[in-house]
Amino acid sequence: MDAQALENDALAAVANASSTDDIERVRVEYLGRKSELKLALREVRDRETGMALNALRERLEAAIDGRDAELARAELDRRLTEERVDVTMPGAPVRRGHLHLITQIRREVEDIFLGLGYTVVDGREVETTRYNFDALNFPDGHPSRSPLQTLFLDDDTVLRTETSPSQIRTMEAQEPPVYIVSLGRVYRRDTPDATHTPTFHQVEGLVVDEGITLADLMGTLDYLLKALFGEARRTEFRTHHFPFTEPSIEAHVSCHMCDGSGCPVCRHSGWIEIGGAGMVDPKLFEFVGYDPERYTGFAFGWGLERIAVLRHGIPDLRELWRNDPRLLEQF
Amino acid sequence: MRAPLSWLREYVTVDATAEEIARRLAVSSLDVERVLAAGVADVDGNLGRFLVGRVLEANTHPNADRLRVCHVDVGEGDARQIVCGAWNFEAGATVAVALPGALLPILDVPLDERALRGQDSRGMILAEDEIGLGDEHAGIMVLADGPEPGTPLADVLPIHDRVLDVTPTVNRVDLLSMVGLAREVAALLDGDFHPPTTDDPAIVDHENVDVAIEDFGGCPRYIGRVFRDVTIGPSPQWLRSRLFLAEMRSISNIVDVTNYVMHVWGSPLHVFDRSRLAGGRIVVRRALPGEELRTLDGTLRSLTTDDLMIADGERSVALAAIMGGEESEVTAETSEVLLEAANFEPLGILRSSERLALRTAGSNRWEKGVDPHLAEPAAVLASRMIVDLAGARMTGHVDVQAGLPERPVVRLRTDRASRLIGLDVAPDEQRSILEGFEFDVSSEWDVTVPTWRARDVTREVDVIEEVARAVLDRVPHTMPLRRHVRGRLSKEQRLRRLVEDVLVGAGLSEAYTWSLAGSDPDPSAIRLPDPMTSDQTILRTTLIPGLVEAVRTGLDAGAVDIALFEIARVYLPSDEQLPDEHWRVAGVVAGGYEAVKGVLEVLYATLQLELRVERGRHSLLHPGKSATTEAGWLGELHPTLLEGVWGAFEIDLATLFGRVPERIVYEDVLTFPAVLQDIAVAVDDDVEVGALVDAAREATGLVLREARVFDLYRGEQVGEGRKSVAIHLVFQSAERTLTDEEAAELRGRIVAALTDRFGAELRA
Repeated sequence: MDAQALENDALAAVANASSTDDIERVRVEYLGRKSELKLALREVRDRETGMALNALRERLEAAIDGRDAELARAELDRRLTEERVDVTMPGAPVRRGHLHLITQIRREVEDIFLGLGYTVVDGREVETTRYNFDALNFPDGHPSRSPLQTLFLDDDTVLRTETSPSQIRTMEAQEPPVYIVSLGRVYRRDTPDATHTPTFHQVEGLVVDEGITLADLMGTLDYLLKALFGEARRTEFRTHHFPFTEPSIEAHVSCHMCDGSGCPVCRHSGWIEIGGAGMVDPKLFEFVGYDPERYTGFAFGWGLERIAVLRHGIPDLRELWRNDPRLLEQF
Repeated sequence: MRAPLSWLREYVTVDATAEEIARRLAVSSLDVERVLAAGVADVDGNLGRFLVGRVLEANTHPNADRLRVCHVDVGEGDARQIVCGAWNFEAGATVAVALPGALLPILDVPLDERALRGQDSRGMILAEDEIGLGDEHAGIMVLADGPEPGTPLADVLPIHDRVLDVTPTVNRVDLLSMVGLAREVAALLDGDFHPPTTDDPAIVDHENVDVAIEDFGGCPRYIGRVFRDVTIGPSPQWLRSRLFLAEMRSISNIVDVTNYVMHVWGSPLHVFDRSRLAGGRIVVRRALPGEELRTLDGTLRSLTTDDLMIADGERSVALAAIMGGEESEVTAETSEVLLEAANFEPLGILRSSERLALRTAGSNRWEKGVDPHLAEPAAVLASRMIVDLAGARMTGHVDVQAGLPERPVVRLRTDRASRLIGLDVAPDEQRSILEGFEFDVSSEWDVTVPTWRARDVTREVDVIEEVARAVLDRVPHTMPLRRHVRGRLSKEQRLRRLVEDVLVGAGLSEAYTWSLAGSDPDPSAIRLPDPMTSDQTILRTTLIPGLVEAVRTGLDAGAVDIALFEIARVYLPSDEQLPDEHWRVAGVVAGGYEAVKGVLEVLYATLQLELRVERGRHSLLHPGKSATTEAGWLGELHPTLLEGVWGAFEIDLATLFGRVPERIVYEDVLTFPAVLQDIAVAVDDDVEVGALVDAAREATGLVLREARVFDLYRGEQVGEGRKSVAIHLVFQSAERTLTDEEAAELRGRIVAALTDRFGAELRA
């Protein structure tokens, strides 16, 4: 056997191989069991020839392996280049649910106040008139006490008209300091229209501690409104009147749609009314047995639906209760 | 209430624009809906083109029967020729004239000079509707004589005005008056307040006025005044215009006076045709049983003995404070008038007006508690106007009263005010704020409340509110100290969020449905005695019907593959006054039992709970495909409720959360390998696979880490009435590696138990 000729032939064959199939054939031809080299190796009797032939075998193996890897890589590259997908095709469907917008806002408000150190308490929806009106200092003849405005179960039992009874229940259950929010459904005999539904949600806030001021209330509401409507908003507080707070105020935020220049959302005033608030009336403290000389506090109660429709530009608040998937799935 | 600024400025001198006034009031006093522009535009000298004119000649138009050619002196020396279509004036009349170039609210372009049927017309004689001062167009405005031709019309009539549209809160009925608003503006904007001072007309030919109050609780004061020789007629233009801008209709001079004075002083008045009062008497009393009255609006009203009435010698003639009666109404023929300037107790008025569903400008004020002291200035101003405008003589006066309430006196601690507000308001400033609102402040800080605030301000904190509202826009924004706060969600609140998130992740969308339902499966569910609508009558005991309705909405919207959940309360009847309120999570999902059970399995697994179910029944579910859990139920929705195949569940959250472990303790599943084995057994068809798994567990204990049914087969090979159940078993010990022999022994125990208890036959 002419080892040199064999090596030259083999290396030429390796160089000529153009596919991994080719290279396999070369491997069989030159290194297979019946190849000239393998047969020769079997015949070897002297150490010198053996070493030379083994060296040759190793060289051929290396050349074949190297070429094989090269070709395999080229073939893979070619195949991957051909394996194109239309990357703009949609993915395999995964069903996704949606949290209702009111829940999202509820959580947002809860988180804002959790961050401030408040706790979240739950109230009741069916309430006694004692908690819903008397304890909250509603005078006789207040319109809310009328069955024209409130849903009564009997003379002494109502569907709560605001989340404020939870103030009383909280204060009865614990001593100051109190830092709570309470969120939930409230009920009024309102004819449904674009801005009213007979059931809606409120967030109630209550703070009672030593040295609580109207400035603290305004600072807290300013923080809340900016968190909900954007840091660029301005807030304004105007005097108001509620049975359970004194002094009472109403919070307004500069319109997030027009930034105060006037648009339909703010009815061209530049300001959006958000809801009522005030310093807890001493009558409430007397009712629950807190010392009104020692403690002061503030409270507020706002509608979540109102925040939702204003912030997201929903023209009709009733839509939040219709559960049309086309609306639910936007949020 | 509408407050024209030209009118307001008669009572307050202040250097502030309409916008500045509106903003200050909005922050410190009451809601200002908007500031309206009324009359003609004040641009580019426009107001100068409106002048007082005197008609020198008014001749028939040579070419048009319905027109007249007038010569009008507008102070220019030569008279102007103006063609006019009105006939309600003659030569000598004082009129309002717009010159060419004037911008009128009814025209898109400036008034031009032109010929009408061949006669030049160099201006326009104005009707009130043409400059936004009324809605009358039958004739032009004939002004009272006095102003010289050429006088700017704006000096005589409010031809350009801004009007505040305001709504006070219920405690501030004093602001439902021009005087009250003027006082507020003066105090807040450092203005000069000068309420109307009126000379009371002298009583001539004195006669007795017979007024008896039988119910001082309902009517603490009644001023009655009698006028004779009253000439009923139209009101002068200035009065008509003011009422129009204040959104009140001009009716006749006498009626207009009552509305005007109510607007000025906030104390409503009423007038009777005295000749129609039996005996000329007034008796204030409650209605008699079965009594009826036809009110001014023509409605016959049945009264109750709670309704406060104004009666004459024989019968009721007015529903006190709410509306007069038709029979004693002042008409064009009236010549003898009884003026009522009274005071009424609010609560009774509110109840009557609510029961009768009759609210008027008067009742709106009375129900909020009007200051009884205002009856007097109101009576004086009205008397003056009746005498001046209707040529009447005042012949009698009586003031019956039960003694008017004292002004409250409250001790103010100025440091407490500053501390509550969170702003250091100097005592001097507090004093000047309170005095601006006409509170009297003694050197010892005893604050005496003015009569018109006596119902609302009775305590120190109420006085502090007066200070606070005046400085509201200066109060800084601070945060409470929060020295002892613990802001975190409770376990239940955290788990509720987790439930919401898991269900959303499982593809369910959250719905919000009403707490009040039209029907409920529980016949003892609580019903509203007086519901708003027939579909909201019952406090629900289950969330499912609401969700079914929501699914229908989705189907109608063309949605497919709907899956909804809701977390809300149900209201279960109890023996107490208040029902038991329970939070529930419920869902309705497309697909049958398997679909809904899959959802619940994910939910339970997330909460580290095992979902164990038993066959159960529920009226909302398919009887063969329903199950209960310890916290609720699940199943296929009863096919009569919704077309198609739907799964439904409802779980009580408190029960569910009560079982959730506080924390998860590590189990060693890493050190020693598990042994996996599958078995298949044939059992009778009615054997539940859950029972097989339970039996396998009992037979082996904790070493059986998992037993999961993964295949069910029925067919010839297992025989009629039988099924083959394939169970995947995982054995694992935390202490050592299980040997093949041990695994085989465990498997053998399971097979033996299944054979023994269920007649199972091992197939593989």
